[in-house]
Amino acid sequence: MDNIEYLFAGFAVVWAVLFIYLLLLQARIRSLHRDIEHLEERLADAEAPAGTAPRA
Amino acid sequence: MTALLGRLDALRPTVLPPVVGVAMMAMIVGALVAAPREIIEGEVQRLMYVHVPMAIATYLSFGVTFVASILLLWKRDMKWDALARGSAVIGVMLCGLVLVTGAIWGKPIWGVYWTWDARLTSTLVLFLIYTAYLLARSIAGPLDEMAARYAAIFAIIGIADIPIVQMSVRWWRTLHPEPIIFQPNPALPGEMLAVLAVGFVAVFALAAWLIGMQTDVERASQRIHRLRAEVDQRESA
Repeated sequence: MDNIEYLFAGFAVVWAVLFIYLLLLQARIRSLHRDIEHLEERLADAEAPAGTAPRA
Repeated sequence: MTALLGRLDALRPTVLPPVVGVAMMAMIVGALVAAPREIIEGEVQRLMYVHVPMAIATYLSFGVTFVASILLLWKRDMKWDALARGSAVIGVMLCGLVLVTGAIWGKPIWGVYWTWDARLTSTLVLFLIYTAYLLARSIAGPLDEMAARYAAIFAIIGIADIPIVQMSVRWWRTLHPEPIIFQPNPALPGEMLAVLAVGFVAVFALAAWLIGMQTDVERASQRIHRLRAEVDQRESA
């Protein structure tokens, strides 16, 4: 039975889903890290004594 | 024990990616080149080398969700909620891939992509249970302890579908074949079993790696919510 197109389709779906998931995950990790850095800067500024220049 | 787990967790980002890469390459070569062609089903039978390991990895991922949910209810520590959610995301993705690869495999063999067979239907129910869990959990914030506890109860009850999925081919007459691997004398030639074993290693390592990364994302999300609350409190003071 020659059904190689189904084999190709099955593997293509698996790799495509994994690839898209990893791309989305990488984008999410980058965005979370940016948010954490931003919030930590804001927290440091809020904790700085009055009269201290805020961080750039 | 905690120190050992911490050390293993620290090794995860350096050890798992190369293991996953090498095992995946070995699995692809094994499935497409090394494994013999099945006489009756033809080339499409090679989907078994990803379909079966992904099905078992689905059970294991939801098993991690189950254990993490119990620990969340017991210890009341939100780190277990992050692990439960992380493993449920990967379980749902793997379960979806099991359904799709099964449908693609089924079309040339059964003549249809889908039938309301007991194995297929119970697997779809499993997919829907944990999709519902993730949706319900995502409505509340990452630090909402009450929502996390309700979701944990739902995840614990949801695991009851796994024995139904596994036993469905024995309890009911189904199109899906009965297990040919998990029995005392596996009905597969040695070469096929060897490639399948490589497939198990590759998919389990992949699942462990992805669960780890997804859990890290959930923990980072919790950390952001804590930081945001702290910043708001300081700035309004």
